[in-house]
Amino acid sequence: MLGLILIALVVVVAIVGPWLAPYTPNDQSAMLSFAAHGAPSWAHPFGTDRNGYDVLTRVIYGAPTALAVGLGAMLVASLIGILVGGVAGYLGGLADELLMRLTEFFLVIPVFVMILAVVRLFGVVVVGTWLESVPFLNLSTIVLLLGIFGWPPIARLARAEFLRLKGMDFVEAARCIGAQPRDILFRHILPNALPSLAVVIALGIGGAILAESMISFLGFGDPKAISWGQLLYFNYQVLRVSPWAVLAPGTAIFITVLGFNLLADGLSDAFNPRLKQ
Amino acid sequence: MGILRYLVRRLLFSVVLVLGVSAIIFFLLNAIGNPVDVLMADNPGITDESLAAVKAYYHLDASVGHRYLIWLGNIARLNFGTSITTNQPVGFMLLSFGAETLKLQIPAIILALLLSIGFAAVAAMRQYTRLDFGVMSAALLGHSLPGFLLGILLILIFAYWLGIFPSYGAYSTRNPLLGSYLADGLWHMVLPLTMLTIFNTATLTLLLRANLVDVLRQDFIMAARASGLPERRVVFHHALRNAIIPVLTYLGILFGLMLATAPVTETVFTWPGAGALYLAAIQSLDYPVIMSETLVITVMLVGFTLLTDLAYVLIDPRIRLD
Repeated sequence: MLGLILIALVVVVAIVGPWLAPYTPNDQSAMLSFAAHGAPSWAHPFGTDRNGYDVLTRVIYGAPTALAVGLGAMLVASLIGILVGGVAGYLGGLADELLMRLTEFFLVIPVFVMILAVVRLFGVVVVGTWLESVPFLNLSTIVLLLGIFGWPPIARLARAEFLRLKGMDFVEAARCIGAQPRDILFRHILPNALPSLAVVIALGIGGAILAESMISFLGFGDPKAISWGQLLYFNYQVLRVSPWAVLAPGTAIFITVLGFNLLADGLSDAFNPRLKQ
Repeated sequence: MGILRYLVRRLLFSVVLVLGVSAIIFFLLNAIGNPVDVLMADNPGITDESLAAVKAYYHLDASVGHRYLIWLGNIARLNFGTSITTNQPVGFMLLSFGAETLKLQIPAIILALLLSIGFAAVAAMRQYTRLDFGVMSAALLGHSLPGFLLGILLILIFAYWLGIFPSYGAYSTRNPLLGSYLADGLWHMVLPLTMLTIFNTATLTLLLRANLVDVLRQDFIMAARASGLPERRVVFHHALRNAIIPVLTYLGILFGLMLATAPVTETVFTWPGAGALYLAAIQSLDYPVIMSETLVITVMLVGFTLLTDLAYVLIDPRIRLD
């Protein structure tokens, strides 16, 4: 329940952000009046950071970025994961063996460090090409990579679920009335597998948001996007001078990740009442 | 299937995994740009001679596939190449920086395991009491608190506000604590070690307590209790042994990811370890270091997964070998 409240908070902030934020996100006017590094006050509830930005405004504008990263990455990961896991579980045999070996293979790729390297190298290579004009290129790259490397846990669970469900009577019945394999897979089995998959996907959303904020914290984020990790990156060196500029986005990340973790917990309790007792 | 045959098969599959990932690392990084083009893009002033020298060094006249084989051959002979930025052998750099990382990570995992056994046992013995609820809430909070945020909080409180511990680095540049380099090194380890230990302990406690609660409900525990053993002995001797088996997987992952999670930890604490080395290598486009370290991380992950499988087989004879 708490998880839902926290997520709702983030979603609402993301939607009404532009009306909620006291300043525009690119307002650096505090620099002009020597008010950068300003402590929290009535004019700047979360203070100002080293670049003269209003921290509260930047934190608010970071919410849609975080949600887009989490949902985007998990959308890609779910598509691949459900397709791979579903086909493996449904077909069985050699296809299952091969697809699961592929999954195991993706599980040992050091995702985080690979993404760092790819984002940095890609950033150098695109300079001067048409790709440079793509909006939020860096952020899209990060989201895509998080999705492409994030599907193995979903595939493993999807396989187990499809394997369990394909022997059930209602699937047998669908097959008897001559339903196409595609319909059996996606219209009969998938909806019944979704509850379990939702748990992993909720965890994955939190994980993707955390990963993006760490990538940005290390300085490999998208300079054009406003993200919590980037706020940390800009202000971490002056932690001693203006801790609020680090603590505010840090708390935002914490709240969001905690929200999705609690949601996953709640979902798993709701779908497996047997475990609760 | 015999245990030996099982092990050989797992070993062979591990080798295949490492080879596959090495191909991905090589082709992905080289597909983005070959080392010289990328360097050129970042250093416009490079002279033609140095360019030719660098190209010859990387065998850039050869095809990508050929270059991959050359690279693999060198790695197989433990020749990791020479760093572009420092001109030192990469193998040596990985060893010296890696030691600084492992010095934090290994004690953090061992400490966390010991602490979490204590916490989980207490929570499971007093199931659904206020104590259990408190321990589990703290664990869930610690598990959700991003590691780097925890590190930042520790630095703010203990280094900046209280001034007890140093906020960055592994050693003092001058005036070591108490005039001893050992004491000084340990002093610097306190905060990063605390951060890693808290983070690991939280997750391990969650896992262990869930398993313990499950195990404590089983018949053999009832039998042990019925035979009149004290509760402490039942939990620590009979239940824990079974509850810890599923946790081995997570322990294996923790050990396997020791270098992979280092960049964040070492940025927070400005720690001169393998993670900092990797970040510096990415910044300066130091291909030999990037590729070697990524491969070493993969080998560690695969190696510890293999060890975990082995441990399962040795500990739990019920596991089917297939």
